[in-house]
Amino acid sequence: MSQTEDLMKRLPNDIGGFPADPVVQVEHELEPWEKRCHALADVLDFHKIINTEEKRRGVEALGSEMIGKLTYYERWIAAFANILFQKGILTPSDLAVKMDEVRSRERPNTESKNA
Amino acid sequence: MDRSSPASATFIQGVVPAAGELPVFSPGDSVRVLERSPVGHYRVPIYLRGKVGTVEAVMQPAAVNNEDEGYGHNAGSKLHYYRIAIPMTQVWPDYAGSPSDGIRIEVYETWLEGV
Amino acid sequence: MSNRNDDKVKHDHPHDEISHNASLGYYEIMETAVRELLIERQLIGPGEIRRQIEVLDSRNPALGAKVVAHAWLHPDFKARLLKNGRSGCEELGISFYDDTQLIVLENTPKVHNLIVCTLCSCYPRPVLGLPPDWYKLKPFRARAIYEPRAVLAEFGTIIPDDVEIRVSDSTAVIRYLVLPMRPAGTEKFTEEQLASLVTRDSMIGVIPANNPSETSPK
Repeated sequence: MSQTEDLMKRLPNDIGGFPADPVVQVEHELEPWEKRCHALADVLDFHKIINTEEKRRGVEALGSEMIGKLTYYERWIAAFANILFQKGILTPSDLAVKMDEVRSRERPNTESKNA
Repeated sequence: MDRSSPASATFIQGVVPAAGELPVFSPGDSVRVLERSPVGHYRVPIYLRGKVGTVEAVMQPAAVNNEDEGYGHNAGSKLHYYRIAIPMTQVWPDYAGSPSDGIRIEVYETWLEGV
Repeated sequence: MSNRNDDKVKHDHPHDEISHNASLGYYEIMETAVRELLIERQLIGPGEIRRQIEVLDSRNPALGAKVVAHAWLHPDFKARLLKNGRSGCEELGISFYDDTQLIVLENTPKVHNLIVCTLCSCYPRPVLGLPPDWYKLKPFRARAIYEPRAVLAEFGTIIPDDVEIRVSDSTAVIRYLVLPMRPAGTEKFTEEQLASLVTRDSMIGVIPANNPSETSPK
């Protein structure tokens, strides 16, 4: 009956107090795109296009599965896309067309290989 | 710790502060975190709900509710955050460390009631 | 829990901005596309991301170490720093590029401070740079708030039972920086020598500052 209430009441990131593994001291040097993504977050917050708290809410809204499977900055950029759509700043088509363009830019050799 | 909260200042007789202008709690006050379960974005972890603690400090200046900020509310309707001290044994019934160990956390005014 | 970050640790070379050999990842393509669209629509300026990367690259634990060392040497500065962490850092030229405030938490023989963000990854970035992955992952975030002593022990730090542990959970506009205790045997140290003992992890509160005899910090 109320089995799904807990999913509504507890955000997927609210994990203080949960049992968990020992801490493994992993860290990594950010890839350039991750650093650009972090800088983008700061710039969006500065302009209040997407403030930091909106970003947090946007990441939560991805849901447990995506939060578990996407890496930290992958979650950020996915959240930004969703929020920009919600605000009417970009449409999904805008982003899809631009992503195709970016993708096609980086493989200029494909055609010559097939010639 | 900020000790310059308006609550401790001397007001000339007859000056009425605006609603929300003054903090409602002062350092030393005993407060309880409310037990509501909001649908959507929140910043008060579930481990804290219903717990009683002591106000350690009033955060100045008054600020936007970050839970509303998560939906794009960037300005206005400012109230205070309070840094609360809560013993670990209050939060975790089986706490294994020293009984003097505690948690410190900022909580927004709308989540607190005096005890 | 995802193993993706373990994969990232094994990744030993950075990607070029545009790689001619390997395809750009899906999310990198998304990031590039979002950024270019926002610039085309003049919602952000063309140089802003580049500038903010420079800002981020300039923030690292050496800044926090400088704040700590200066506080160890100057009691009046330490008093100002403990009253208002942000303005204390600003006194030393460390600007805060966001709206966060800073509370500096002093460790003493009676009180040991530890910082965590159970809900996400709040961290004093303007003065420490970006947080390590472990700070943002579930084990630390879930357990630091209810078994700090066990977590500290995993870092090799044993806090006696007569020392109070305070775990500060950042959830709002305040960020925290731990001011570790000054190690013994440093009475004649210069500020620079003192700063070299202060590690990032000591300012999170998982380990003490290095003793003079220990080698280079993380």
